[in-house]
Amino acid sequence: MKHLSLTARMSLMFMSAVIAVLTVAGLSFNMLSQHHFRMLDRQALVEKLESAKHILNKARGEASLSEELPQLRALLGAHQDLAATILTSDGAVLFSDPRAVEVPERFRRANEQSMWEWQNGQHMYRGMTAQISVADQPEPLTALLILDVTNHTHFFDTLQRWFWVGLIISALVSAALGWVVARSGLRPLRQVTRVATAMSARSLQERIPLEPVPLELQQLVLSFNAMLARLEEAFIRLSNFSADIAHELRTPLSNLMTHTEVVLSHKRDITAYEENLYSNLEELKRMSRMIDDMLFLAKADNGLITPEKTSIELADVVAKLFDYYHLLAEEHDIRLSVAGTGRVLGDRLMLDRVISNLLSNALRYTPKGKTISVLIRQTGDSIILSVENPGDTISSEHLEKLFDRFYRADPARREGNPSNAGLGLAITQSIIEAHKGRIWCTSVAGLTGFHIELPRPS
Amino acid sequence: MKLLVAEDELKTGVYLQQGLTEAGFNVDRVMTGTDALQYALSEAYDLLILDVMMPGLDGWEVLRMVRAAGKDVPVLFLTARDGVEDRVKGLELGADDYLIKPFAFSELLARVRTLLRRGNTPPTQTTMKIADLEVDLMKRRSIRGGKRIDLTAKEFSLLELLLRRRGEVLPKSLIASQVWDMNFDSDTNVIEVAIRRLRAKIDDDFDLKLIHTARGMGYMMDAPE
Repeated sequence: MKHLSLTARMSLMFMSAVIAVLTVAGLSFNMLSQHHFRMLDRQALVEKLESAKHILNKARGEASLSEELPQLRALLGAHQDLAATILTSDGAVLFSDPRAVEVPERFRRANEQSMWEWQNGQHMYRGMTAQISVADQPEPLTALLILDVTNHTHFFDTLQRWFWVGLIISALVSAALGWVVARSGLRPLRQVTRVATAMSARSLQERIPLEPVPLELQQLVLSFNAMLARLEEAFIRLSNFSADIAHELRTPLSNLMTHTEVVLSHKRDITAYEENLYSNLEELKRMSRMIDDMLFLAKADNGLITPEKTSIELADVVAKLFDYYHLLAEEHDIRLSVAGTGRVLGDRLMLDRVISNLLSNALRYTPKGKTISVLIRQTGDSIILSVENPGDTISSEHLEKLFDRFYRADPARREGNPSNAGLGLAITQSIIEAHKGRIWCTSVAGLTGFHIELPRPS
Repeated sequence: MKLLVAEDELKTGVYLQQGLTEAGFNVDRVMTGTDALQYALSEAYDLLILDVMMPGLDGWEVLRMVRAAGKDVPVLFLTARDGVEDRVKGLELGADDYLIKPFAFSELLARVRTLLRRGNTPPTQTTMKIADLEVDLMKRRSIRGGKRIDLTAKEFSLLELLLRRRGEVLPKSLIASQVWDMNFDSDTNVIEVAIRRLRAKIDDDFDLKLIHTARGMGYMMDAPE
């Protein structure tokens, strides 16, 4: 069964069901008919036996017994398949119809009212025995009534033969019907297969139409379409990412090439060469960091970022980072404040990096004299850390895209700030997602906040 | 100090050799794992720098066989693959450190010096001196030209780090890691600010500057003897 096609399987099952039903019906019909015929035969035998008794009871003595015989013959002769033998108690045959056959000895002693049957060559017989008391006779006579039921047997033989023929024909017809039904029933499945086969990276936007699909297959089609949507999204993201990588690397590479060629085109003093090399080094370091970041993101995409699970007090992390950033904050006359505590399970290095990214981001956009505040709150089953800073409100169209790779809210900043490749928030997001958390940004009335929600350790 | 560099990429190998030689080390360079093993077993090196991907034997194999031969020379791996399992494998086999390509040469140099210093730490000094700057590590006090200089805790840690590794260029990432426990690259200029502030206190009032900038690479503390 394992390698049979679904169509073949369904045809076979259909056929088996038809055979089973027909066989049960046939067997029942056969048994019922046999029973019915047996009842009819019994009834006939009982009736005739009663009549025979009646006739014989009228007789008085040997002589009158033989007088009654023609009457008896007439009674039995009316039924062409019926035969009778009447025996005296000592076994002598008193009367025997010419058609009477040799009855096996054992039936002479058979119980009254019970019907016996036996087979003799081609013939099948049923019979009944009765002891008839005749007046003036010391011993009762034994009457044997025999009914030839061979034609019944013939009828059943014919019936069975035709039943088998009918069964085979029905089986074949039902198999064929099953095949047709299965083929047409499975047509939507073949359609799904056809779409799936034709699918390639270029046609990921195709979907299997839902309307003509039967109810049972709708879930399959829905799942399949959902898978396609996910694939398409991932594919688009990947292509954009590749394009972005190419673009982002092209700018520093072209700087490097131009600068180097210009410097080499004339003889210069040693400081000019030094200057060129330093400048190249900065550019190269930037590229190197970008590659590191992109590799990190690529690993995150493939689920290869597996954070350790150590118990971390977020307030401690913030305090450590404030220690690091306070110099920078002082330079820009920005104050740092933290409130609240919250303990989470996570990777120390990665969470350091996340909060560091958010703080350096906030430092970049907070105007002089303002305060960056970090708030840690505990809710029912999560810890929320928010980094809020006053600054220009970010419009909602930018808010959604802030976490996209290489996205910068202000396009002009792109070339101006070489240290910020636009991957920081994407990395932050992938770390938070690896921690089964959530990150989002709000920006209302000159206050921008980045919020991280992490599950609370149970 | 004698170093072995095993690197199958010719350019990388030559630059590493040049850089390390100019930093004052005696450097042998090989290009295959088989040569690396032969050299490592026949000569006494203070440090092996092994590329992981090499023709013949790979870096892991070389390390395994060197350790099997009973040599506990420090080993630094260079790898282009940044897989956690690679790191674990290397550290399990007994590597002492690893660097992921591309890396900054200043970073490599700093790590090499750390590894070479390991094991033969000088007796713990309580006072250090460079030119006319004296630092008392116990009392956390610094005096230059007879004048007491007030430093914050972090400024003092930074000064101590620069002093302990006098004459070495310390990359910003190493400073961030050692002084602030920031073990990842941050794209801000916190270290520059911190150095600028330390300079203001240590160097600005004096003609002889002790803190030097190695542009694009890091910072160094040194003074002519």
